[in-house]
Amino acid sequence: MTILDGPLRVINVGLPLLVEGVPTADVVQLDWRPPAFGDADIARRALALENETTTEANERAITAVQSVRPQLTRIRPARDVVPGIGEGRILLHAGPPIEWERMCGPMRGALIGATLFEGWADDPDRAEAMLDAGEISVEPCHHHQAVGPMAGVIAPSMPVFVATDPNDGRVAFASLNEGLGKVLRFGAFDDEVINRLTWMRDVLGPVLDRAMQALGSIDITSLIGQALSMGDEGHNRNVAATSLLTRRLAPTIAALEPNSAAVEVLDFLAGNDHFALNVSMASAKLSMDVALGVENSTLVTAMARNGVEFGLRVAGTGDEWFTTPVGPADGLFFPGYGPEDANPDLGDSAITETLGLGGFAMAASPAITQFVGGNPDDALVATRSMRRITMRPHPAFPLPPLNFAGTPSGIDVLKVLDTGVLPLINTGIAHKQAGVGQIGAGIVTAPPEVFLKAARSLAEKRDIS
Amino acid sequence: MNQPPDSVLNSRVLHHFYRDSVALMAIASATEKRDGVHRVGAVMATPANLGILADSDMLPANLDAVPDDLVFVVRGDTADIAQEALDAAEASLTAVESSGQTEEQKPGTVSEGMAAALTSAPDSPPNLATISISGTYAPVVAEQSLRAGLNVFCFSDNVPLDDEVRLKKLAADRGLLFMGPDCGTAILDGVPLGFANVVTRGTVGMVAASGTGAQEVSRLLDLAGVGVSQLIGLGGRDLSAEVGGIMARFAVDRLAADQGTEAIILVSKPPADEVADALLARLAEISRGGKPVVACFLGMADSDDPSTGVVIRGTLEGGAIAAARLAGHDLDITDLASIDPVTGRVLGLYTGGTLASEAKILLKRAHVECEVLDLGDDQYTAGKPHPMIDPGARAERIVAAGSDASVGIILMDVVLGYGANADPASPVAESAQEARRIAEADGRRLEFVASVCGTAGDPQGIERQRNILRDAGIILAETNASAVRFVATQQAGASAS
Repeated sequence: MTILDGPLRVINVGLPLLVEGVPTADVVQLDWRPPAFGDADIARRALALENETTTEANERAITAVQSVRPQLTRIRPARDVVPGIGEGRILLHAGPPIEWERMCGPMRGALIGATLFEGWADDPDRAEAMLDAGEISVEPCHHHQAVGPMAGVIAPSMPVFVATDPNDGRVAFASLNEGLGKVLRFGAFDDEVINRLTWMRDVLGPVLDRAMQALGSIDITSLIGQALSMGDEGHNRNVAATSLLTRRLAPTIAALEPNSAAVEVLDFLAGNDHFALNVSMASAKLSMDVALGVENSTLVTAMARNGVEFGLRVAGTGDEWFTTPVGPADGLFFPGYGPEDANPDLGDSAITETLGLGGFAMAASPAITQFVGGNPDDALVATRSMRRITMRPHPAFPLPPLNFAGTPSGIDVLKVLDTGVLPLINTGIAHKQAGVGQIGAGIVTAPPEVFLKAARSLAEKRDIS
Repeated sequence: MNQPPDSVLNSRVLHHFYRDSVALMAIASATEKRDGVHRVGAVMATPANLGILADSDMLPANLDAVPDDLVFVVRGDTADIAQEALDAAEASLTAVESSGQTEEQKPGTVSEGMAAALTSAPDSPPNLATISISGTYAPVVAEQSLRAGLNVFCFSDNVPLDDEVRLKKLAADRGLLFMGPDCGTAILDGVPLGFANVVTRGTVGMVAASGTGAQEVSRLLDLAGVGVSQLIGLGGRDLSAEVGGIMARFAVDRLAADQGTEAIILVSKPPADEVADALLARLAEISRGGKPVVACFLGMADSDDPSTGVVIRGTLEGGAIAAARLAGHDLDITDLASIDPVTGRVLGLYTGGTLASEAKILLKRAHVECEVLDLGDDQYTAGKPHPMIDPGARAERIVAAGSDASVGIILMDVVLGYGANADPASPVAESAQEARRIAEADGRRLEFVASVCGTAGDPQGIERQRNILRDAGIILAETNASAVRFVATQQAGASAS
């Protein structure tokens, strides 16, 4: 006969002194820290949000997200496929909304470059004047079912990857990766950059699209799943996925194209380890968008940075952005550069972490564990810590070093607040000056403030004060 | 990029040697930290990478390297420095095999703790959360625990009153105990929590809204040979009008239904009137149902009302004696023989709050002038550990009292058991001897009277603790009440002489 149900077993939150008299085997000592990053008011609201309604909504949201099997179907000019672009003078950029005046150097450079590329201006000064005068609209990629790495600029005539949901025909888009060095996404806009973009528009895009039309579709989920077992994590290391993609495309390209075009395209793919990143991003965007607006759900649907602010979106609050100023990434730098040269964190590529790739899949990628401490065990620790803030493993993304358990997938705002664990994001580091390019790579954690803001808004929607 | 004019650029090419760029960046970053080294490049010699080297003026002239080659370049103060840096960079390509040990992630939240416990012992799920974090967050963690189906022992203080009421209602609705906030003591199924003595299991069930009050009664029940079936703590505010005795009611009902409990004692400061009425009515019902009940309401007049069957006692000692008797045992307390009267007033230096209260009540009843300090009260602790944990603060006060010519007798408690200091007697003994030396040097006599709240089973060893006190010339009474009676007699004697 016991006073409680069954023998006494204790969870101790605080001083071990209190349970001195309890047999050690019957005590679980918590490594506790204040919830909601110490904001007791938000901690209470988050607790109030944690109920049946939320659990049920999250269950629906994450099941839907993990059921999406995005197919790479086409590579088409943005203007023909991306909604809301049409014939107008509109350019898309990475991250949450931001006015031209407040943008960082690389993003301004990329928009100037895109203005030149579209032929709307003849020289950079004129392009800048047009942007100053508001003659060109700038809007987030995320508002157009699209994503772009770094500055993330998409112009109407640029080719974009089209990822399609075979179940319901939904689509999502991403720009094509230009490679490293002087490239538009880091704000460069000289002739070399514009010439490459022109070639991508006139040769690369159409060649790839013809190959895709001949192939039908490529299952992106299985491509990434395979790449994870080859040392990619789907964000900062893409050499395996790029190789797999190239291998799929090469015979068709060789069969369809005149020799010179095929060689040029395959040469380009062979020289760009990150080419598949944008495919991974389009697929993650398509997967996460299925949860947009799932009422009462606390699932994160997007994390994105515009070089000034970090933005977060949550299923239950639809298209609302929660933003806060963003700092530079802590990372490793290319020869000749250091932290003083770094631009604050930038790009839509954190959509991969939102789904459970990138920083969340570090365990798959021993080659780049230097980002998290240097030894492969640290990568396992990083992935395991992401389990604490996610809803459930992604069944299609197995991690070999963790006995093929799926990557931690589906960030829950409430779990982030309860544990104080922040999402890890693998990222490239841009030079703060437009056009210098990538100067390093590293890891960032999403800022706590956006989760506090999200919880406040979710609570307001539910009349929790 | 401007380089110092006198710097040297050296390079080394490892032909057909591959490393991932991230690994190379880490090597470059480490090598760059060497004295006299300005910049380090470590790259596979692809055209793009060589371009990056060129951009930062780090590309050696006539570099003989193809994309399969690994290139180190170092810009340093001297050729020797650059050469040594190249050696170091190359050496760091040879990694030391790691032990493969990763630290197991400790659970950080209540739900993670539940999961961890269920993984290690699926058949025996957790049923209690003990909480001692800041009162700012304690309500959140307590609610998480209740929602997870856990009973709660909440040691945290500074929990808002409305939270206490809300959480206690939530607990009672779910059939769970909520002990606290500011609950110091409980014994559940023989397992002590917080500050608790090692008490023999027995037949008296205790419900207590006070910490050291519960300890004194439980150890006296142990002394009487009765033992304790359960000791359920409530926190000091439960019987206030605001909280309304929600948990007191729930806990006595739980004990009324407990087959291991034959008699019940409720220990508290006197409750708010309406709370007392409702609670006494309930206790009377339990008593009529066959389980005798003692209400030990500190400071109330003793009464044995045969119409209700509820025995009321106003002291801890009285409560313990009454409860022991209901369980069929006599607890005989032998008071101390009087000694030569001492001049000077009574100073009580207590670590236990309820023991201090009992002393005040008894001294007041005896019309003895006194000053009794509860050194565990917030006004004395102010950010320092409780004196039951760290006896240093009381020791200082004991020594200081040696210089106070108005003090004749110092009255003290020494609390043993789990949670308490490993050797609380020694600092008391040492400081008492020091105070006596000071007083005697001044031609005064200073006496010390104490009781030890402990049991034979306590980890400190009660006989050892008593001997330490006795050897220091401290007069030991069996109970706190007995110690007070002794002091009161001395004072009466002193004023008579």
